[in-house]
This record gives sequence, C-alpha cells and structure tokens, in this order.
Amino acid sequence: MAALLDVQDLNLRFPIGGGLFRKPLTLHALTDVSFTVEEGETLAIVGESGSGKTTLGYAISGLLTPSSGHIRFGEALSGAVEDRPVQLVFQDPFSALDPRMMVGDIVAEPLRLAGVPNKERQERAETVLGQVGLNAESAQRYPHEFSGGQRQRIAIARALIADPKLIVADEPLSALDVSIQSQVLNLLNKIKRERSISYLFISHDLGVVHHLADRVIVLYLGRIMEIASREHLFATPSHPYTQALMRSVPRIGRGRRQPGQSLKGEIPTPLAPPPGCVFHTRCPKAQDVCREAVPVLEPAPGRPGQMSACHFKD
Amino acid sequence: MLRYTLTRIGQAVLVLLVMTVLLFLLINLMPGDPVDNMLEGNPSLTAASAAQIRELYGAGVPLPVRYWNWITAAVQGDFGYSSIYFRPVAEVLGPALGQTLKLMVATLVLSVPLALLLGSLASLRPGGLMDNLISFFAFASISLPNFWLSLILIIVFAVQLGWLPASGTPLETNPPIWLEVRHLVLPVLVLTMFFVGPLVRYVRASMIETLSSDFVRTARSKGLSEPQIIIRHALRNALIPMVTVLALGFGGLFSGSLVVETIFGVLGMGKMIFDAIRYVDFNLALIGLLLATLVTLISNLLADLAYAWLDPRISLK
Amino acid sequence: MMIAAPASVAEIQDAHSQASGAATPLLRVQDLTIAFPAAVGREAEVVSSISYEIGAGEALGVVGESGCGKTMTSLALMGLLPPAAQVDGAIWFDGRDLTKLSARAWRSHRGRDAAMVFQEPMTAMNPVMRVGDQIAEVLVRHEGMSKRDGFSRAVQLLASVHIPSPERRAQDYPHQLSGGMRQRAMIAMALACRPKLLVADEPTTALDVTVQAQILDLMLELQEQHGTAIQFISHNLAVVSEIAHRIMVMYSGRIVEYASVGDLFANPLHPYTQGLIKTLPEMGQPGSDLYTIPGTIGGKRPPGCRFSNRCPLADAGCRQAEPALREVAPRHYVACHKVN
Repeated sequence: MAALLDVQDLNLRFPIGGGLFRKPLTLHALTDVSFTVEEGETLAIVGESGSGKTTLGYAISGLLTPSSGHIRFGEALSGAVEDRPVQLVFQDPFSALDPRMMVGDIVAEPLRLAGVPNKERQERAETVLGQVGLNAESAQRYPHEFSGGQRQRIAIARALIADPKLIVADEPLSALDVSIQSQVLNLLNKIKRERSISYLFISHDLGVVHHLADRVIVLYLGRIMEIASREHLFATPSHPYTQALMRSVPRIGRGRRQPGQSLKGEIPTPLAPPPGCVFHTRCPKAQDVCREAVPVLEPAPGRPGQMSACHFKD
Repeated sequence: MLRYTLTRIGQAVLVLLVMTVLLFLLINLMPGDPVDNMLEGNPSLTAASAAQIRELYGAGVPLPVRYWNWITAAVQGDFGYSSIYFRPVAEVLGPALGQTLKLMVATLVLSVPLALLLGSLASLRPGGLMDNLISFFAFASISLPNFWLSLILIIVFAVQLGWLPASGTPLETNPPIWLEVRHLVLPVLVLTMFFVGPLVRYVRASMIETLSSDFVRTARSKGLSEPQIIIRHALRNALIPMVTVLALGFGGLFSGSLVVETIFGVLGMGKMIFDAIRYVDFNLALIGLLLATLVTLISNLLADLAYAWLDPRISLK
Repeated sequence: MMIAAPASVAEIQDAHSQASGAATPLLRVQDLTIAFPAAVGREAEVVSSISYEIGAGEALGVVGESGCGKTMTSLALMGLLPPAAQVDGAIWFDGRDLTKLSARAWRSHRGRDAAMVFQEPMTAMNPVMRVGDQIAEVLVRHEGMSKRDGFSRAVQLLASVHIPSPERRAQDYPHQLSGGMRQRAMIAMALACRPKLLVADEPTTALDVTVQAQILDLMLELQEQHGTAIQFISHNLAVVSEIAHRIMVMYSGRIVEYASVGDLFANPLHPYTQGLIKTLPEMGQPGSDLYTIPGTIGGKRPPGCRFSNRCPLADAGCRQAEPALREVAPRHYVACHKVN
C-alpha cells in the first residue's frame, strides 16, 4: 500500500531576534524528522512543550515552510481541486472559530474557497454537521451559542467538509472537560471508521494516544526519539525518554505516589540543543558517548518495527 | 544598556537628518517668497538692493545646493537670520524654548502624580462614587476647550479676584523667581487640565486590568494589605503602558500649546512656529520644526529607557 | 447501613471523631453556600450547602469539571472570593469560623495559617519583582523579618524546593525561570511561613507530564516533612489519586461523593463518579468506543438531583428531590437516591 504522506529529513529552523548589528540566534524546531503515514492510519505525535510537535503539524499542513527536506503526499491525494489534502483541527475551540460568522458559513468555508456554489455548500455543511452530531439548525447560529465540546465538533466538521484524506489534529481534546473529551474522542473514532481517513494526532496525553493511535512518534527537542506501533511502544518502550514519560503519567488505582521516580531537570532550550543525544542532560543512562555522538534512529533489539534513537536502547 | 542608548542616539541623528531634508523641501514648497514680503513691507528698497537680497537668500541657486549651504552652516551653529524678528534664529528661539520648557516641566510635574493618584483611586471600585466623580473630571478635562477654560480662569482669578496676573510672562526684564512662578500659574493650570484627563483615563484602565491579574491575587493570598498591593505590585505594572502615552503627549505639548501661549501672551515654541510659517520665515520655521522633532525623538528615547527600567522582561542589549 | 434522617457530613463526622476520640479536624466546612447576584444564563449559587473536613496533615483531593464549584470553594478558604460573593455557612479552621473574620484578621490568616498555589505559574508572579523579594515579602509580612533576612531565608526556601543555584534564582525575575521552576518558587512562597493548610488549585495542569511528576513528588515530600494539610483541586482524577488520602467529587456546586482514594476507585458509588472513571481513555480497549456521560456541562440545572439530566439511572424521583450526602459505608459518603 502506498504511503499517504511521506516526510523525509525534515528540518525547520527559525532565526530568532537579531538586529541591525547582531546575528540572530537559530531555533532548532525540527531536526532530521522522517516518517510516513499510511492510508487510514492514525499516527500520534507525542511530546512535551518545546518538542516541536505543533511545528511539525503546521509544516505538514503547509502553514510553515521547511528549511530543508521533503513533505510528499501520495497519489491518493491528487484529486479534485476542492479536495485540500490536509485539514487542521486546533486545540482551542474558542479562538479557532470566527465569532462573527454563522456556523454554517464557518463549516462551508473550505468549499467557498474552492468555488463550490452556495446551494451545494449549504447542503454539504448541514450533512457534515449531522455527521458530527449537531442538528441542521446549528448552521444558522453563531459559535458563542455553543459549548466547548460542540465548538470542537464544529471545527471537526469544517475539517471534514472538503473530504480530506488527512486531518492534522493539534491537541483537539486538551481544552475540553473530561466528560466531553470522551465524546469527541468517540467522534474521531467514528469518522475514522466511516471514511478511512488518516489522522496526524498531536497530543501530550498518553492515555488518549493509547486509545486512538495505530503508531506513535515520540518527539523530544525537535528530534524523533522513538517511533513504534502502539502495542510495542506501550508494552516495551525502548527509549529512556519514552520510559520516563510512561512513568510520569499519573494513573488511578496506584494509590499515593512513590516519590523519586520522576525524570530530573527540564527540557533544554531549542536555541541551544545539547550536543550528541539531545536527551542526555536528563537521561539516567547517559554515558560519555551520549554527550558526543548523535544516536541513529534504528530498530530496537529484536523488534524490527520499533525504531529508537538511543545508544543504550532496550 | 549603554550600547543600546548609543545606537538609539545614532538612529535619532539619522531621523533628524532625514527630517531636515523633508522639512527643507516642504518649506520651499510653501507659497510666498520671503523677499517679496520684505519688499512689500519696505517700498523704499531699490531694485538693485532687492536683487542683492535675492542673491543673499540664494535665489536662482538649485535646491540641493541651497540645502547643502544651509545644513553646513546649521551644523556649525549658524541657523541664519529670522526675517520677521531681524535677529539670528538662535537668539529668537532660545528664550522661546526656555518658556516652553518651563511650561512643559511644570505641567508634567503637576499632572503625572495627579493622574496616578486619581486613576488609581478610580480603579479601586469601578462604577463606584469615586470612580464616577473622577471620570466626570477626566471627561471635563478632555472636552473643555482650552481657550474657554483660559478665559474663565483669567476672568475669575485675574480680573475678579485679582489674585494672579493674566499674562504668562512678567513685564520686568529680570524678574525674580516668585514673580515668574505667579505668572506661570494660570497657563500651567490650563495645560495641566488639558493634559491630565487622558492620562487619568489611561491610568484607570491600566490599573483595573492590573488589579484583576493573577499576580495581584497571589499578593492578596500572601496577606498583604490593599495599599501594599497597589503600591508594590499593581502600580509599577500599570505604569508600563503609560510610558508611551506620556512620551506622545510630551511631543504634542511642545508645539501644540499654541492657544494657551497666545491667550496668556507667552512667546513659546507653539506661537513661534505658527508665526514663522504664517509670515514665511524660512529659517525660523525650519529650526523650530526641527526642535519639535528633536523633542519627540528624545522623549521617545527616554520612554524606551523608562520601559527597560520599569520592566525587566525588556532587555536593551 | 442506613441512616434514617439525612444528616450533614459534619454531624456524622462529629459522631465519628467523638466515637474514635480523635481531635477536631484542622478544617471543617459546614453547609457552605456561595452565591452571586443572579446574572442571565448563570446559576446564582455556585456552591450549594457543602460540608467536608480536612484533618491536620491530611491531603484532600477535590475533583470536578468546569462549573462544579471547586475553585470557588478554595477561594472561600482564603477569603479571596470576588467582593460580590455572598457566603453562607461556616468554615471552621483551627477553632475559628473564617466566615466571621474581619478584613484585618483575614490578612493575617492568608499566607500564614493557609497559603495557596495557583494554576498558571506564568502569570501568578509579579513580572517586575525579583523572585527572592516576592518570597521575602511573606516573611516580612508575617514573621516580622527584615527585608534582608527575608531574602536570605528565601534563598534557603528555594533550595528546599530543589531549585538549582538558588542564590542566583532569587535574584532572577519570574520570566527568567521555566514554568516548572516558577511553580516550585510558588510552592516555596506558599510554604514560607509553614502554613497548616495549603490550597493548591490545579497546580500541575499547565505543566508538562515530566514536570508535573516532579511537582507532585515535591508536594508529597514537603507534606511529609512539615505535616501540612493539603486541599488539592484538579479536573484530573489520576493526578488527584496520586497525592490525596481522600477524594471529594463535585458536580454543579454539590458534593456527589466523598471517600478515601482506595474506596472511591475500588467501589465508586455515584453514577457521575462511575462515569468519570469509565470515560478515561486508559480504561477502554484501544480503538473501541469509550463510555460517555451524555449531555453537556453548564446550562440550567434540572429540578431534583442536579445530575439527573445526564444520569443513566435517573427516574421520576430523582427529578423531584435533591439527594442528601449520606454515609453509605464507613467514611464513604454519596449523594444519590439510587445508592442503598
């Protein structure tokens, strides 16, 4: 099966500051990122703030231009003009919708940009609103009349209307209340089943990722630490950073926590990433080699599908 | 910080240079010819001396050359002669600058603390009685015309009560300080009234926002008293956006107090520039406008330095 | 075990502590109601007649979604409610009813007897004041220290929350610290006067998971060192379960369930608590549909039980009378008509 999306050696650097007489600093947002997304697959990008996960989503949606490397879409995506290959769903359902536009117009906007006639736009907007669980009258109302969860449904409807093959969803659940999160999560699952759509699902929430993802990329300071199927990643995490992430996630039913297991320190600034392995400043396994040589992303011992960038991977 | 200041001064010099070109061009586009004006005022001039004057003023010389002649003289401190005062421009502008600076400094010294006090008081209980009274005062300050307020103050304090002189400058050549202060009271009052209203509104808005911020809540959770919270935590944060407003207001005050200067008979920069343009006094108008530019540049530079001093998040490197 | 007449938790617990001979708890909230002047589309009562207690050195977790009243309850303990708030009931803290305090007495309570840590470490500190000075300020206020002594104590406090090079950090301004370090500094500030109660409102929500784990470790460590009681508020059941001894679940201004962490997860009784646990993604099979609580948060409260419009068990009785919080097993309280 041909890959829907093929990302090769993607690098993204931003100049920061600088002035008339000063050299700007370079922010290394993404370094040598390569992966593919298959048709109908959900690939999750996991990382903490400063890991570059949002930047990656923007680069793939075409909102940011890579400094080097390729982002190629497979043949499945060269369809009609109105079929934008990628649609985005943002984290904050409150600021992502224009408060002065009616919901129907918001949802139909991708079609308007593609020149679809008004009548067809309205019909398709109502259909897609129905698919995300909102009634047809919603089209005549304004975003402020809806709750956070409903607004995220509207944002999803807008992403769906142009029938994209890939949806980049950047933390679509984290602004929602717990009981609403599961509703939206089920909606995303339903869409995936019905449309064989692919998701690039950006999240810091490992619980959600475990539930939704087929494969997972763990990002740290702009580099891929580990990439593996969900089963492997959660059952046998290979990279020390992945292992630390798993340990950090609070779980119910463990009782009061045992202190002393958490990762030390904090993520360094992407303006001056550490030499060698970018994780060595916090890694419990770090040796001299880690401070000098950048580890290659290669299969974990005995698990060919699980790639890990660590000199001492499990 | 030093490096930043030096860079900024360099930039200001650059802006000033560009402004000389622009102003020189603009003033040369003005209708009217200074020599014609002079001839009209003095019919006894012969054609020969008229030609001589024209030559002296550089008629027939191309504009860029004239500009070059003017700027090279100006940087050496020779600003030329004023055609309406028949004296060197420096001699005319010097006292005017002094008068204006006295008015401005007195106005600032009065209005900034007043604005901080009134604005903060109003912000404590938005919508309360105090807030309403202060807002009324601020709106009155914004909307009362200068000339009207000046006349009312003159009628009340100079004419009826006879407490204060109606003019802004003493008649004596070397007046004692107290006399000068007495003469400044009314114009400074009017200018303060004009200047303080918008400031009060800004302080109030800025304080209301600051008082609802998270760190003020933190300060409350520490058990600090309201005066401690306002003085130590809120005011300094609320002051930061005020700096721009002040800098802009300062520039406006420099050349914009024409009405007050005229009514109180103060020969300040506003009146000087106005007259110079009206009577096509090239040299005086040019230097007057350049001074106004300079004051705006300096007050903006001071504003940026004040920003860095008030807000550690801004580093002037 | 059945109780004939619904009694308030405080009365029940009173009976308990008398029976067991335990001392009075550090904090006892009795029938606390917080209301605001009615506004269009908003309920006037944000907290309705809730009662609970926290023993000395105990960590209570308060869990609920937006609008459940958990933040208002915390602010009430600190006297930090907006001026328009009307407070009813009693908050007994160390033998005094806080609701009766004068403004002056509140100020000496805040920061000394009880202290608070907030959600957003980015905005909770004064951006134009050095971190050390902000910590020293509490000590100057309550311990009568000089500014200088306060500052050197602040350096020690920064060291005690494991901030590297505390001397330098005390001289820094908040923006020079990372989010995690700022939250550590906030905790240092809160604990400066060794308060008996620490109120923490979503203190780890804005942080990354690895930093969240560090902050939870730190809070546990300090609690064990100083025996500080904690009221820890969060929307995240899992976070609360790692730090609390007991958990109180709130919904729409009411306590719906109140039990020890073990009891609550082993035997959740209220349909809302059950729903909250079942909706967690880690509870479901990957790819399968998760359990969802129908309906939305907010909007008009239904008559009777406030959860009745979203409850799978609700019947006509639930829509008529509001259930009282009762003890259905030892120290396990629930407010539901359907629980025996």
